Amino acid sequence: MRVRAYGREATIVDGLAEGTAGSLRTHVLDACTDAGVQCDDVVPAAESFVVTHTARDAELIRGLLAQLIGGWLAEPSVATGAEASSDVPVEIAVRYDGADLAEIAAACSLSVDEVISLHSGADYRVAFCGFAPGFAYLIGLPKTLHTARRESPRAQVPAGSVAIAAGYSAVYPRESPGGWHLLGTTTATMWDSTRNSPALLQPGQRVRFVSVA
Amino acid sequence: MTRTEQHRAIRIDRVGLSTVQDAGRPGFAHLGVPRSGAADRTSFALANRLAGNANTAAVLETSGGLAVTALCDITVVLTGADTEAFVGDHPVARCKAISVAEGETLRVDRLRTGTRAYLAISGGITGVHRNDETATNGGALLGSLSHDVLSGFVPVPLQSGSLLPIGKPASPPSSLDLAVDFVLSRRIQLTEGPHFDLFASESLQRFARTTWNVSPTSNRVGIRLADSSPSQSHELSFAAALKRASLGELVSIPLIRGAVQVTPSGEIVVMVADHPTTGGYPVIGVVAPDDVDTLVQQQPGSAVTFSWST
Repeated sequence: MRVRAYGREATIVDGLAEGTAGSLRTHVLDACTDAGVQCDDVVPAAESFVVTHTARDAELIRGLLAQLIGGWLAEPSVATGAEASSDVPVEIAVRYDGADLAEIAAACSLSVDEVISLHSGADYRVAFCGFAPGFAYLIGLPKTLHTARRESPRAQVPAGSVAIAAGYSAVYPRESPGGWHLLGTTTATMWDSTRNSPALLQPGQRVRFVSVA
Repeated sequence: MTRTEQHRAIRIDRVGLSTVQDAGRPGFAHLGVPRSGAADRTSFALANRLAGNANTAAVLETSGGLAVTALCDITVVLTGADTEAFVGDHPVARCKAISVAEGETLRVDRLRTGTRAYLAISGGITGVHRNDETATNGGALLGSLSHDVLSGFVPVPLQSGSLLPIGKPASPPSSLDLAVDFVLSRRIQLTEGPHFDLFASESLQRFARTTWNVSPTSNRVGIRLADSSPSQSHELSFAAALKRASLGELVSIPLIRGAVQVTPSGEIVVMVADHPTTGGYPVIGVVAPDDVDTLVQQQPGSAVTFSWST
């Protein structure tokens, strides 16, 4: 783990274990509050997170992050997200009727039923969000279902599509182009700008998919 | 409240290439929401300061073709790009508080230098309403009226006939005493980005010695720049230097305003207002905040160079 300047108004912490940045976000926000420093946002990605701040607070925040990392190295359960495993997961009801279900089953040498039970049996966590508002990259997909993206992306993937690619699972919050394999659909509203909490899935959150007929 | 205060508004007669912009949606990047807001923050801040507004008040960001009619007596300030703008037949000077009487029309026809002008109205734009709607809460999305072209977050799309209610001025408007020419530096300062160390020294040297041309595909998401060196040049191009040293597969990192992404073809993209929150291309550097403002004002075809700073 390293703390480095990312321009004058941002700092990046990289070299994190894959998928842990989302869980670390609240620790960083809490540490900033405790120290009385204002940060604009803490934005997680696959193996890093970025803190945005004013140029004036850069030194203070970088010092604070170095301290936090020291703590995480001493207590690895924080940095791996293991400490938060008691959170209540968000359950997403899925109808496994996706256009790529049979193709994925064939590619993974599994039956369609096995793909469904593997996907709906796993424990997921939001590693980070990106691509579109409310699009959450979920880690926890069983290794046997790890596949590359589709060779040619679709111009239109319907909102609510439950998909997998590149070792992640995700739900398309709105209709958009997309290169992931579609396993099913959900009627859950993944994004609503008028909600108090617009995104159903936030970084660090636990998620489970529940198969419905 | 007097009747005039209740009905302070302007009407859009012609949208042209214009959007409503304010300070955007900070604090939602972790959910995949771009910050958005005014692309040239320096000109945006100046427009609001001279108009006597709060520094986050909503303004019109225009690349020309805009016509608005005052539905009450208003004061406006135009900053940013050097424009051909008129109230009736009278040219509108940049960075001056201009009175526009009820019923008069202000036009921003075309830009001479720069890509975006900022029209602040004293009191600030407090909402966007279609001509058939009565004014309610202005329809802000996540606390902002900004039109974000990447996420398609448009509180209410601007169209001819749109009514934009105007708030109460926070303080009296003012003008810059001297006429300030709109001169853009061609030299852009940047600091090392997260992937700086992955680039071979040859690529880094070429990057700083290359003259980059602003591409016409640049927009509010990113300013795209292409190497303008002649291909028969005996010196190695940036793209060729890049090809020699493979960067390997990268995991995506959070993107920030000013981040300079290098695409596999050797083109570069500088992230601006509506940039995606994460991205997988290597980030060679970060343009200094004020220089991002300079960069977004460069017209397509403009040549710029980059210099490393600390």
